[in-house]
Parts: sequence; C-alpha cells; structure tokens
Amino acid sequence: MPRFIVHLGALLAPLIAASAEHWAFQPLKPVKASGVDEFIHHKLREQGLAPSPRADARTLIRRASLDLTGLPPSPEETEAFVRDASPDAYPRLIERLLASPHYGEQWARHWLDVARYSDTKGYVYAREEKNWVHATPYRDWVVRSLNADMPYDRFLLLQLAADQVAPARSPDLAAMGFLTLGRRFLGVSHDIIDDRIDVVMRGTQALTVACARCHDHKFDPIPTRDYYSLYGIFQSSAEALVPCATGEDAKLTELVKRNRDLMTKRREEQMARTRARAADYQQALSELDKYPEQGFDQIIDEKDLNPFIVHRWKAWMDAHPGAKLTEQTLKQADSPAYVPDEHIANNEMYFPTGIITELWKAQAEVDRHLLSTSTAPAHATVLVDRPLPSSPRVLLRGNPLTKGDAVPRQFLSLFGNQQPFTQGSGRLELAQAIIDPRNPLTARVMVNRIWQHHFGRGLVSTPSDFGKQGGTPTHPELLDWLAQRFMDSGLSLKTMHRLIMLSETYQQSSLKRDARDPDNRLLARMNPHRLSFEEARDAWLTAAGQLDLKVGGRPEALFSASNKRRTLYTLVDRENVPAVMRTFDFANPDLSIPQRSETSVPQQALFGMNHPFVVQQARALVKAKASAPSATARINRIYAQLFQRHPTQAEVEAALRFVQEEPAIAVEPDHSKSWQYGYGEWDEDTGRVKSFKVLPHFTGSAWQGADAWPNPQLGWAQLTATGGHPGNDRKHAVVRRWIAPASGTYDIQSLLIHEPDVGDGIRGFMSHSRLGKLRDTRLKNSKADLSLTAIEFQTGDTLDFVVDIADGLNSDQFLWSPKIMPSTQATGSGADSSQETWDAEKDFSAQPKQPLNPWEQLAQVLMLSNEFMFVD
Amino acid sequence: MNTLPLTRRDFLRRSGMGMAMLGLGDVMAGAKPHYAPKAKRVIHFFLNGGPSHVDTFDPKPALERYAGKPVPSHRLTERKTGAAFPSPFKFQRYGQSGIEVSELFAKTAAHIDDIAVIRSMQAQVPNHEPSLMLMNCGDSIQARPSLGAWLTYGLGSANENLPGFIAMCPGGMPIKSAENWQAAFLPGAYQGTYVDSKHEQVDRLIENIRSPHADAHVQNRQLDLLRRINEAHRRERSDPRLEARIQSFELAYRMQMEASDAFDVSREPQHIRDMYGEGVHARQTLIARRLLERGVRMVQLWHGAGQPWDNHDNIETNHRKLSAQIDQPIAALIADLKQRGMLDDTLILWGGEFGRTPTVEMSGAKSKLGRDHNHYGFSVWMAGGGIRGGTVHGSTDEFGFAAHENPTSVHDLHATILHLMGINHEELTYRYAGRDFRLTDVYGDVISPVVA
Repeated sequence: MPRFIVHLGALLAPLIAASAEHWAFQPLKPVKASGVDEFIHHKLREQGLAPSPRADARTLIRRASLDLTGLPPSPEETEAFVRDASPDAYPRLIERLLASPHYGEQWARHWLDVARYSDTKGYVYAREEKNWVHATPYRDWVVRSLNADMPYDRFLLLQLAADQVAPARSPDLAAMGFLTLGRRFLGVSHDIIDDRIDVVMRGTQALTVACARCHDHKFDPIPTRDYYSLYGIFQSSAEALVPCATGEDAKLTELVKRNRDLMTKRREEQMARTRARAADYQQALSELDKYPEQGFDQIIDEKDLNPFIVHRWKAWMDAHPGAKLTEQTLKQADSPAYVPDEHIANNEMYFPTGIITELWKAQAEVDRHLLSTSTAPAHATVLVDRPLPSSPRVLLRGNPLTKGDAVPRQFLSLFGNQQPFTQGSGRLELAQAIIDPRNPLTARVMVNRIWQHHFGRGLVSTPSDFGKQGGTPTHPELLDWLAQRFMDSGLSLKTMHRLIMLSETYQQSSLKRDARDPDNRLLARMNPHRLSFEEARDAWLTAAGQLDLKVGGRPEALFSASNKRRTLYTLVDRENVPAVMRTFDFANPDLSIPQRSETSVPQQALFGMNHPFVVQQARALVKAKASAPSATARINRIYAQLFQRHPTQAEVEAALRFVQEEPAIAVEPDHSKSWQYGYGEWDEDTGRVKSFKVLPHFTGSAWQGADAWPNPQLGWAQLTATGGHPGNDRKHAVVRRWIAPASGTYDIQSLLIHEPDVGDGIRGFMSHSRLGKLRDTRLKNSKADLSLTAIEFQTGDTLDFVVDIADGLNSDQFLWSPKIMPSTQATGSGADSSQETWDAEKDFSAQPKQPLNPWEQLAQVLMLSNEFMFVD
Repeated sequence: MNTLPLTRRDFLRRSGMGMAMLGLGDVMAGAKPHYAPKAKRVIHFFLNGGPSHVDTFDPKPALERYAGKPVPSHRLTERKTGAAFPSPFKFQRYGQSGIEVSELFAKTAAHIDDIAVIRSMQAQVPNHEPSLMLMNCGDSIQARPSLGAWLTYGLGSANENLPGFIAMCPGGMPIKSAENWQAAFLPGAYQGTYVDSKHEQVDRLIENIRSPHADAHVQNRQLDLLRRINEAHRRERSDPRLEARIQSFELAYRMQMEASDAFDVSREPQHIRDMYGEGVHARQTLIARRLLERGVRMVQLWHGAGQPWDNHDNIETNHRKLSAQIDQPIAALIADLKQRGMLDDTLILWGGEFGRTPTVEMSGAKSKLGRDHNHYGFSVWMAGGGIRGGTVHGSTDEFGFAAHENPTSVHDLHATILHLMGINHEELTYRYAGRDFRLTDVYGDVISPVVA
C-alpha cells in the first residue's frame, strides 16, 4: 500500500463539467507525501526495481549547473564542491545556482521554445522592417522575471494582458511579446489570431484548441464554438507599439509624430473616399465574387473599391437588417467606412496598395530608429482592447466566407458553464480564467514542463497536449502533488526546482542498470542529458575561456566574428534559421515547440570537424593551458577544463601518444600564400599601387574592411574568389596581388568584366613590381581581355590586379579571376615545366591554411567527445 | 583506458548502418513504402516566379482571334490585365502523341512521349508567397513540412552518406528562402540542404564539407582517437544515443568523400557534359543526376534567386532567355536517365508556383507586353517513374484563364507524387499539436490518368 493518501472528494469547487472524465480535466487530487521520492520509489518497488545510488559529486555539480544555468561548472567550482564534505554542500550548490543571473537565461530558452520566439517577423515585403523592435525587450523580460522568481500566475497574466494591469511605460509591458511575436501570415488576420489561440492554449493549458478551427475537436470536448469564443477575444484586440521604459528621444518623438500625422491624414482621406463611393459599395454587394477575401492580394489603387471594405459593408448590412447607411452613420466608428486609428499592422487592408507601402515605410522609419539607437526607450508591442469589441461568428470549416452562429467571447466550455466576458475584449478575463487557482491545467502543465527539463521527459510525455490523444501521466499522483505544492508555494518555479533537485531521484546515478525498464519510465536511474545546441556552443566557448557572460541586449548573428555571447542572444531569423541550428534540432520559431527533437546526423559531426568555430575554441583552450609545466600537466588541465575531472592514467598515455606521434603532413601545393588581398591608390606616374595594405577582414567568402559590408572602415572595398568591388574613392582601389613563387616566365589569362549599365564604370590595371604597368583599361557594361604571355618574374616579384571606381561610386562591382601559369612560349625555361597553375578563383582560400598542431587536434577531439556532449 | 584492436574500417564493417543508428529511429515513418514504388527518387525543376502556360505547354489559338479584345473568361488576379495577348511563340506537334509544345521547350518536347502534361492545375491565390508554400508544402499559409521533407521522413535516404533532400538555387535564394524546403514540425534533419550551385568548388557548395585546417590523414587520426574515447565512455553506460552519435562521425567522414565526388561534374566524360550544355543550369542539372544516381531522394532545382520567371513585362524576351537556359539541360537529363535505365524509376516534375494570364498586363493605359500571375489554371508536367508518357490531363478554357476539364489541385499533384513513390498520402502522417498531419491535409486524389 502506498503511504500517501488520495482524497477522492475534492475540496475545491470543481470548475469541470461533469461530462469531462478525462484525467487532465479533473480537479487536483489532494495527495499527502513527504516528497518526490515517495512516488518514484513506490512505483519502482511495485515493479521489483530499486533506485540507483547517488551520483558522485563531480557528476552532480555538472548536472545541476547545466540544468539550472546551461553552463558547465568551472574546474575550481568543481574541486571546491568535491572537497566540501558538509551535509548542506549540495543544497547550498542548488541555492547558488538558483541565484545565478544565468538561471533565468537557461530557463527563458525553454519558455521561448513554447513562445515560438523569433527576432524577426519572417518574410515581409521590402516596405516593412523585418526585425521585431520588441523581441529583445520580451526575451530580456522573460529572463528577468525568471531570475526574480516571479509567481507563475503573474508571469502569465502579464504576457496575456499587461496592457490592463501594468502602468504606462512599465517594463512589464514587454511581456506581451508572447502574443505579438508570432509570424505575420502575410497579414491575414484569421491566421494571426489562430497562432495566438494556439500559443496560449497549448502553451498554458496543453489543449490543442486550434484543432477546433474547422470542426469540433475530434477527441477532446472542445467545440468549434469555443474556438470562435476565443477568436472573438483576439479579434477585439489590436496591436500597438508602446514604450516600456522611461526616457525620451527627440528623433524618435519626431518620427513617431510624422508617422501618426501621416496615418491620420491617410485615414481621413480613405474614410472620405469610401463615403463618397457609398452607392458603389452598396452596388458591389450584388457581385461579391469580384471582391476576394483577405489572403488574395490584389494591387489596388485609389479609384478601386476596396475588397476588404466591401466585405465589411456586407457584414454591417447583415448585422443591421433593414437599416441604411447614411452620410451620418458612415462617420460612426462601427460603420464599414470607418478606418480604426491603429498601427498599420492592424489596418493596412483598408488602404490602396500605394498608401499601404507609404504607411509601412513611415512605420519602418520608427522601427529602424528603435533598432539602431541605444538612447531611445525600449518598446513593446502590446495588444490593446478595441473600443468596440466584435461579436465573433463561427466560420464554418474555418472558411471566412461561410459564417455560422454568433458566439459570445468566453472561456472554454469544458471548464463548465461559462459566463460571457464583459470587460472590453475579454482578454483580461481570459487571463484570469487561466490563472484561476481552480483551473487544474495551468499548474499541472507547468510543473510537467519543469519536470521535463530536469529529467528529459515529462511525467506526461506530451507537454503541450494533455488531451485524450496525449500521453497519460506515468505518476499521476506525483503530478498532482507537484501541482499542489506549486500552488502552495505561490507558484514559485524556484521552489519547484528545489523540490525536484533535492530529491534522491534527481541525484541518482545515470549509469546503466536494469534492463527491465529500458526506457527508464520509472526512473530507476537519472536520464543522461544531451547538450542542446545552445548548451554545446556555450560550453565550447566556456572551455576556451571565451564566453561573454553579459546578460540581455540585442541579438548578434551566430557566426559574426565578434559574437562570443551566450547562444540565447543569437539572432533568430525565422525565415532563415542557420542550417547548423536546424541540424542541431533548434526549436522551429514558427511553431510553439514543447519538446525539441533529438537527432544525431552527420551534418552535426561535419560542423564539429570542419567549421572554424569549434577549431577556434580548441586553439584558445590549448593556448590557455600552454603554461603548464609538462605535457602531462597540460593534459590534466585540459581534462579539468572540459570534463571537470582528472584523466585516468590510460587517458593521459593515449593523449601523450597522440600529441607526440607527429603525423606526416600530406603534401599538396598550398597556393593560398601566393595571393594577397589588399587596397591602395593607383599611381599613374609610377604605374604602380601606392601604399598597398591588406584587407583586414575575412567573412568566409570575401576579404573586406569589417564584418559588415559596406563598412565605415573601408566602405565597399571587397575581393571575392571571382571578383570584387573597389573602395569608395580612388584612394581605395582594390588589389589582388600575386607573388611569384619562383623565377621564370609566366603566361597570364585575365578577363575583366563590368556588367552594370549604370554609373561611369571602373578602371582596371595590371602592374608588375619591377616592370611597372603592364595593362590598363576602362570599362562600363563591357569586358576586356587583359591576357599576357611570357612575362618574366623573379622569386618574390608581385603582379597586382587593380580596380578603382573611375570617377564615381556607382555599380562598380566587377568579375576578374586571373590564372597564371608557366609560359608555354618561353624559351629556355625548361620544357619539362610542371602544369601547375595559380588560379585566383581556386586558390581563394577560405582562410590562409592554418593546420592544427597535435595539441589542437587533441583538444578538438575531446571537445567533440560524447563525454563533453552528454551529462550523466 | 583500453585501446581497442579494431581499426575504423573494421568497426564500420561490423556495425550495421541504419537510420535508427542516426537517432532518427523514433521519428521515421517506417522508412519503407506502403506498396511497391514506381519511382524511387524525384527531381523537381522549379521555375520560380511562374512560367506562362499559354506560352509553353498549353497552346491557345483563340487568343489570336481575340487579340486586342477582352476575353470572356477574364478573372481577377493580382494586377489589372487587359485584352487577350496571343503567344509570341510558335507551337508545334511533337512525337507520336502529337502534343503541342511551344518553341521555348523544343528540345524537351522531343521527349514528349515520355511526358504527361497536366493542363488544369489550380492554386489558391494569385500571389507568389502563398503559392510557393502551397506547391512546396501543401499549405498556403501555415508552416508545414515540404514534399522533400515528407519523402525523406517517409522513405529515408537510399544513401546515408549524402543528405536525402537537396535544394539547389544558383546565385542566392528564391522568395521565402529556406521555408520552401522546410521541415516545419518534423525534425530539422529532414529539411532540404541548400546548395548555391553558382559555385564550382565543393567546399563552397556544401557547408562544412571540407576541413580548412586538417587534411584527410590528420582527420582520420583524430576520428580514430575520438572513437576510442567514445567507446570507453560508452562501456559503462546504456544509452543508444551514444552509439548514434559515434556513428554520425563515421557517416560524416564518408559524406566528405561522397559529396566531393557527387558534386564534381568534371568527372563526367566530355560527351555527357556537352549533352547538358554550358552554364550554371546545365551544371546543376548534371550534379542533380549524379546525386540521384547516388541515392538522394529528392533534388529540387530552382531557376535562380528571387523569381526569375515572374515576367510581368516583355515576356517574349524574358521567357525566351529563361527557357534557353534550361531546355537543353532538361532534354539532356531525360535522355541521360533513359540511357542509364534510370528514367523508369526517377520522377521528373516541371512547373512553377502558378501560371500566367492569357491577357496582357497594363500599366495604366499602356501595355507592358507581359502577363500577370494566374492561379486559376496552369500547367505542370511529369515524366519518368510510373508516368504514362504522351498524355495530356485536363484542360483550361478556350483562352487559358482557368482550369476547365478535370481541375487538379496541388494536393492531387502531391497525392500522385507520393503514390508513385509507393506511399498512400492518407497514411503518411506525423503527430504534432494534437493532430496527425499529412502533406495533403484532408484533400488530394491520385491523378490516375497520368499513372502508367
């Protein structure tokens, strides 16, 4: 018999409809127990299994550190913990980690997966700014809230209705990014609303309400009417861009005012236009098929009837049978001629195409200023209730053209009889229904997510689907007990972490044991954890001593040279997530992802083996341990840094063998040293380049002034494998320089091409370090064959291929990838000369080849090992 | 740490290589078809931007009679179009079947008896973005897995040393970028691997395929050490993921070789290269054949960055230029597959996201000599694996504005492709957010008349 007692008669007033028998919809069953272990051990005993012994101290600190902060412990922290024999060493470790500012970063990422977080909108037309202005404030708000252990009900309330409970300019307004960071769905409002219903209902209730968009839910008691009840709430809410910090910025104020004035002007014009065409709109109702619904984009001008307004007109007539639209009624806010005073994201469909473009451009000015300045206050995109909430109607089979019954805005009927919401859109009431202590789903869903991220799998294996098709809990009493403790704690996440992590179950060894429960559903041992992409990248940077631990702020591109920040701050562009991130199972930012896939595919291995990133960290690690007094000491330090342990004797020997048996280096002519990529000024008098300097930055496919292109350092100057672009003035001609590796006579194949038929073209020169100018040309939308034969070089002589802008900077990109080979016409240079060719395109190396030394090879191997990638 | 006596090669031979070893075991639909497949692989020529059907595979002589006059079947599209605009290109009958094709695809048309033209395709709206999503992923708006992702999920790859689904586009990305070959809620491993086929060197074609800092010898030595370390680590643990990750390094090592070989068209004899012709489209088509030959499940060949076929103006010059870039490579591919005995089990799909209006696009009162988008009716064609060659399925109205006989949805097309690949489109599903999703949603009928 279990020692805990299940009270079947619930004390709380049930919210649940009698018909909903499914476990997840039942009130929490009050359960008494001393802790997590009681439930786990009971089940194990039932199956004749026993828990595993406690993991050793090194394993525990690595496990707890990565779980709570996403970062491995330092060798010093590890040694201190291992040496600490006091009975509260482990609880103190947990407290230290919970107090770390990096706790919020790690657990924010779990929530951001659910919130389908992206820094960009995804695909948008060029008129619109693609980057969200409010993504960074939202992400940082989640981090801060978790660090502050904000009660979970408050955490949800703010994300759903901060506009109604937080004061103006409050940082809490940023919370509403949860609703407003979704995809744009090309502006189709039905789909934007669907996305919001989905993220809220799966995210907080683990209910797949979006399945009821077209028909009643096939398995769960969620009728289509419920879907449209929620639909009405979001249909009655409009997006608004508001400051969520104090402070002023004059430029911003000016741009906002310009934007608002333009919107006001265009709205008034549009309303006047519609009123003037009232008879035509009335007429249009008899040929509705000429006016397609949203989603069918037409380019329309001011003379056209607007299809969206035609459909509004129809809806108004349907809602007011027998009424007539007069000049007066057309001015009212509920009339089809009225254009609401809202952000362009909400009201663009009221305008002709040209004006939509104009209005988006004005908004983009505001957005770009916010994205580029650090002086303007942060902004949030919130939802605000529209003055006139709309009465939703069921769309039959989800089709906007076939409208069914009107339904009230209210909560789900599976929670019992519902009262229609009365305050504005009802969004605040929706939030309150979700965080109501009598709602059993909210706490169950969240404790299951917490459990999932500690143990790799939830007590319910489908963390965003608690419906009948979802998983059943492996330990239902434990789930309810945790949910009740969560509520008793004031919905404190940190309390739950303590409860779980201080259990024996969590502290068990993960090493292999019994084969009777191969999936370890009953937790007779800890589940090993495989590092996520973010954890792996952060761990590599940590091992190298390179990680920048600054908390918060704007995102950076994954592989920008300067990006040493935690991977949480990597730019997430939902239109184009870097292939390596998708390869490593990063959560798809288009969809609410409760649990990431976990795959091992060769592309992951290729990244580890061949991408410069891991290699750079291996080099940095080796360099940092270079001061070790002996090779053995160096190996010890590398192991401590990577694995927080000492290597075994056998490991030391193997590593020593590896670094001492210098491998034979394969011989392959390395041409990359024969080329340099630089800039300078063409000097017509000497026929040479004045003050040649190398282009300092390599992007992986181009040499240029800095990571961005163009850049403040050297403007447009760039050289690629096949051509390039001169710098912004004649002082910055780009120069591809060949350095003769051996004396001899050479032929040069050289074709310079300038394609654009605009601007004044380019000038091109070939110059020999001893012989001076060999060829020159001026080109626009044409090509020149600058080939030469039988040119003499001595070892170290250079041949420069120079391009400048001619007289003006405009469309000066060019193609020029010469080839140089020993002359076939040469006399006396030896008939047996090799076929070796210096090919500007082929030799354009990714980087000057820098082979790894054996220590660096060893460090790379260790960084790619399973021990590094898995946490016991 | 004990050193193991096995060499890397012994180890490879000893261990079975299955997708299950890649850690994909839980998320594969079964890696075998529902019934005997007629095609084993797919190549999709994507003419992004929307090729004009009335200028290629759907002749409309009535447009001559109506030249300059409005056509009775006029429909609303994205922009305003005016009068009937007869095709500036000559059509003629080809092959035994006598199907008419325009001069733009004269070389392809020489193989018309291997081709089934569907002239009654329909999409949903006249806009690029949703139509690209519909053609690639079966849904205009929502994020759904692409056809290639479904195929690799359903069938696996026939060569684990190469990605199962490769999308090539020279010079950059099409509109909607990687969303066109997305895995959506399927694991990221099923997303198409993008290749910018403008490049000629393999390390610029595929990410991370070569090491800039270690040669093969060094790498071999590193991987030997890595395997020994991982083996020792695994010995006291029981987690299949450890083995899967060990395997992934072996596969990666071989992928480096195999990919370098597959993408290197210089290994083709001159007469084969001559067959395909000059230029980037010839090269990417020949690379595609080499990939298909090596077991890649699906290759998509995009015409170019942006939307090259979107000829709102001057269609005569533009369509002529574009078709000249791909007509010979397509014809060469059909002939080449045939001579290798691969045409029978390789499905070729040709088409864009929609077609174009038979009426001329206007800029105010002025003709732009081009055509607007048209989703009401357009043509695609298929050839090879399981296709009844020399057939025409469906038709558009007299002017080519809208599908008339046997209107065919993109879902029908997808159902047919899956069918030819041995998959019942109603049974290839994936559970996400409480629903079993499929490529064809709740729609789709196999287009039996084009199936041999």
